[in-house]
Amino acid sequence: MTAVTLDAVPAAPSERPRVLLYGAAFAAGASTLAVLALVATYLRHRADVLGAGELLFPEGTVLPLTPGTMNLVTLGMSLVTASWIVWALRNQDRVHAYLALGLTGLLGVASIVETFYLYQQTSMPVRSGVGVLFYAVTGGHMAMSVLGLLFLAVMGLQAFGGQLTGRDAEGMSAAILYWYATVGVYVVVWYAVYITK
Amino acid sequence: MTVTESAPADAASSAPAPSPARPTGLAGIFGSDDHKVAGRVWIVVALVGALAAGIAELIVSIERVDTSGIDVLDADWIARVFTFGEVGGVLLFLLPLTIGIATYVVPLQIGAPGIAFPRLSTAAVWAHVVGAGVLVGGYLTDGGPYGPDLDGVELYLVGLGVVVVAQVLAWICIGTTVVTLRAPGVRLTRVPLFSWSALVASAVWLLTLPVVGTLVLVAFLSVRFDQDLLAGGPYGAVSWLFAQPAVYALAIPVLGLLGEVVPVFAGTRPRQHRVALGLVGAFGALSLGAWALPGLTVEADPFAYEVPWVAVSFAVILPVLGLLGLSADTLRRGKPRLSSPLLFAVAAVLALLLAVVAGAVQAVEPIETLVDGEGTALFGTTWTTGILHLVGAAALLALLGAATYWAPKIIGRTLAEGAARLVALVLLAGALVLAVPELVAGLLGQPAGLGEVPDNVDTVEALAAVSVAGVALLLVGLVVWILLVVKALVGRDLPGDDPWGGHTLEWATSSPPPPGNFASLPVVTSEAPLYDARHREEVDA
Repeated sequence: MTAVTLDAVPAAPSERPRVLLYGAAFAAGASTLAVLALVATYLRHRADVLGAGELLFPEGTVLPLTPGTMNLVTLGMSLVTASWIVWALRNQDRVHAYLALGLTGLLGVASIVETFYLYQQTSMPVRSGVGVLFYAVTGGHMAMSVLGLLFLAVMGLQAFGGQLTGRDAEGMSAAILYWYATVGVYVVVWYAVYITK
Repeated sequence: MTVTESAPADAASSAPAPSPARPTGLAGIFGSDDHKVAGRVWIVVALVGALAAGIAELIVSIERVDTSGIDVLDADWIARVFTFGEVGGVLLFLLPLTIGIATYVVPLQIGAPGIAFPRLSTAAVWAHVVGAGVLVGGYLTDGGPYGPDLDGVELYLVGLGVVVVAQVLAWICIGTTVVTLRAPGVRLTRVPLFSWSALVASAVWLLTLPVVGTLVLVAFLSVRFDQDLLAGGPYGAVSWLFAQPAVYALAIPVLGLLGEVVPVFAGTRPRQHRVALGLVGAFGALSLGAWALPGLTVEADPFAYEVPWVAVSFAVILPVLGLLGLSADTLRRGKPRLSSPLLFAVAAVLALLLAVVAGAVQAVEPIETLVDGEGTALFGTTWTTGILHLVGAAALLALLGAATYWAPKIIGRTLAEGAARLVALVLLAGALVLAVPELVAGLLGQPAGLGEVPDNVDTVEALAAVSVAGVALLLVGLVVWILLVVKALVGRDLPGDDPWGGHTLEWATSSPPPPGNFASLPVVTSEAPLYDARHREEVDA
């Protein structure tokens, strides 16, 4: 290997700016804060009501635990499939990437369906203090899930439309980062709303 | 294949295809992905918001002169004007102006060809315009936070929500730009102080505005479903932004501008750039306010979070003093020129220093109002309003100073130097004449809202009359500054690319910069690359 040969080697590509990844991190932080602020409002209302010696839920209200817990399990499984997408993209494995993306999307949609199922099961009246906040918290998280799914879908289309390397994989990583935040926030929602009641 | 393998017929056909023409006229404004266009729109919209909020503040200050009743407007309207003065002043003026200047200047300072997510940035500014219009529409249709018409209240809350979302999107673009689009050599520790302050501000506001947005949603649901879920009603969603510590976040650009212009007008390198970065970061961290929200909004126990609140109120003085010390040292080592941007920056930091000291005094519970036998805490009196006005005036001074400093880049002209200096002094005088009487009136027990005082009525009313002059001075200063911009735009004096002898990359391109910002960039080995280029021998030594 001579110096001449080394001179002929093209310069290394400049470092990727990773704009999408950092932008997604900022967006995930903002969305997380928004939903957590809703949870905080719910908990404060709960503390005020219980502190006044009143019932938190209107009499006869049922809030089943099972749909919420199933939702947690569903979103937990989606964490695995989301990580699978990144692994498949980095290994240029198109089949695995398609499969993992499809499963993540399916689990995400299932989470939304489970939330609607919960709305059918519960008898929480919307015209009550806790009812308004219950639907705001769960609806707020559902909105975050929809955003995360849309982000995944758009990045998936972009990744599969081009090469499954470089910036495309970064876009998918950004979408998955947002999805991780969505799942993490749900853990807090699950504990605050369904467990503490 | 034959076609592609043939030699080109002539030289012209082998030339690169010309880039598509940029849209002009309205299409160039509404559909541009240029951060400079978005930045200018933010600035113009903010100045409109400034005039509206300024007039509202003037009406409220006149109303305060007679504490016995409502004189200027009826009770419904004065409550709306009172809240609009604060909501408009922060969310329709100071924050949009900060975003506008940051959107314009930050990519230039870090050597980037544009802003991150340019279409999102453009969408944010137009969403803000729509949201601001809806918010004002809410006020005009008997709404606002205390309006009698619930539809108007909901309209106000929808507009407020859109404004908050738009500003969150804008801060995402600015923060991502600083983190990811820096030119080669511009390490994070070499980022110019103003851009660093924009990054700190983006982090702080991205942790603050989503909470505001959520509270606005809760307020909306409370109104829609007739529930009492938010302390302070719809106004409680935003009122905590106007008290310490959250209010200090408005002043983050003050420190950024001070660190930016002092070395330039001292003609020397900045002192301890990394320490300055740390001080601005510390100030930003201490101005995070959402944690203190419960303590500020529960009327029964405003000091529920007393220990951290007191600690933060005192600690926030240190970064301001630290940066003042570094700036003084930089000035001492150089040959200072008293130019208008330097005057704006120094005036701004003096107003901020007074504000944080007043904030610390407010946090000391033994200090009470001087009402005979009925002393109460200063929080909730016009002492709190005075702090808000001092911070707001500091931010106003800094942002107008920044716009004056970067006017060659933003409008391709410099403002008349003597008149700009006068504006800085008038604004500082206005800030002091407005806020100091408010602080004194707060000490005498004048509540922050509009109401009677149990004691010292004559003195409080006299102080309120002085404050009217302060608001008027601030408004006059603002209007004169806008007229200076108009005069500069009409004039034909071109300032050149670097009229101040700047240290940072934005001065290495034309005024105003072309699309793409830079034809070429100098080598960056420090936080002051253009200073290095001018003083190569000193740097080599």
